[in-house]
Amino acid sequence: MSKIKDDGSIWSGLAKKGVSRRDFIKYCTTVAATLALPSSFVPKIVEALEKKQKPYAVWLEFSDCAGDSESMLRATKPTIGQIVLDVISLEYHETIMAGSGKFAEKALQDVVKNQKGKYIAIVEGAIPMKDGGIYCTIGGKTAADIAKEVCGNAAMTLAVGSCASWGGIASASPNPTGSVGVGKAVPGITYVNLPGCPMNVENVTATIVHYLTFGALPALDGEHRPLFAHGALIHNNCERRAHFDAGQFVKKWGDEGHRLGWCLYEMGCKGPEAYFNCPTIRWNEGTSWPVKAGHPCFACASTNNWDAFGPIYKRLENVPGAGYQTSADKIGLGVAAVAAAGVAAHAVIRATKGKPHEDEKK
Amino acid sequence: MAKIAIDPVTRIEGHLRIEAQVDGGKVTDAWSSGTMWRGIETIVKGRDPRECWALTSRI
Repeated sequence: MSKIKDDGSIWSGLAKKGVSRRDFIKYCTTVAATLALPSSFVPKIVEALEKKQKPYAVWLEFSDCAGDSESMLRATKPTIGQIVLDVISLEYHETIMAGSGKFAEKALQDVVKNQKGKYIAIVEGAIPMKDGGIYCTIGGKTAADIAKEVCGNAAMTLAVGSCASWGGIASASPNPTGSVGVGKAVPGITYVNLPGCPMNVENVTATIVHYLTFGALPALDGEHRPLFAHGALIHNNCERRAHFDAGQFVKKWGDEGHRLGWCLYEMGCKGPEAYFNCPTIRWNEGTSWPVKAGHPCFACASTNNWDAFGPIYKRLENVPGAGYQTSADKIGLGVAAVAAAGVAAHAVIRATKGKPHEDEKK
Repeated sequence: MAKIAIDPVTRIEGHLRIEAQVDGGKVTDAWSSGTMWRGIETIVKGRDPRECWALTSRI
């Protein structure tokens, strides 16, 4: 087998780490799928990762909990996320870097000066603006000033997590620190919002690969979020949707419906109003996501979710199509089938909670 | 006598500033500062208590 030329490209970096050509092509195919691109784009992605040099990146943390950093570190075996991260030259990350104090500051300044206009700035955490931005300082500088300098000189900025995207939990009412997302704190920069609490690492690395392949950001929605990750309602991709349509709802934690994996609408699920690819990409290398694990979605990526969607465990009002069956048991006996003969497939059957439906009294 | 500052303290979760007064190679005084605050204790007030865990776990 011929030796892979060590030319500093992403592919040669992967090969040096023992990634086979076959696995590399598989990874490129997976990323194309994540980006919602047809398979005809795979060769272009392959070519980009074969030719492009390792991009420099710096990871800034502001008013955060480091949850997005934790999300990034969750891979325990090489996944596309891990692979791309192995071949990005991450020069600054306060949670994991070796240097501290002035040595850390120098590492950041070296990239800003020597890679000006070429590096990727990754921002985690909100930026407080109230009282001169004093509620988050690093090395004596406010988060706002650091963001202006580092994001202002970057090729592009990735705002990872809901806090950096729109203010997140720090901005939840009454927002004591005047916290906002990086796009609002530093007007005029090229940026992508990758919200989520935390964000999903698969969407971050797919965005980076997209940028490397096409030299441009993926298609974004009105909130600067990639459409490939936020273009579809969770409700429309949820594996429990059939239970919603059939009116099979969990009523209490641990009840039979909960054990059977029924719909979590009545437990407060915000899936009908949330746009994210959790049901398809899932978390922890595709292991699971909140609904699959039995907990309702609380729209963690949606702007202002802590205030705009009501309490986590309060049911969303007026979600169309929620079917209320009189009794799932009766269908097998043919009684409900007779009663339901005149009812269209997706009609809402009104049923008072706990009281038998009129038909049941027959 | 010199005063040094280490900010950021790295490889921790959160933001920390350490200042130390150094005299003849020995630290004679020191200060620590948590340099980020969001006010989550204020944010949880008035909310449904069942969702408190979701906010405080993000501290």
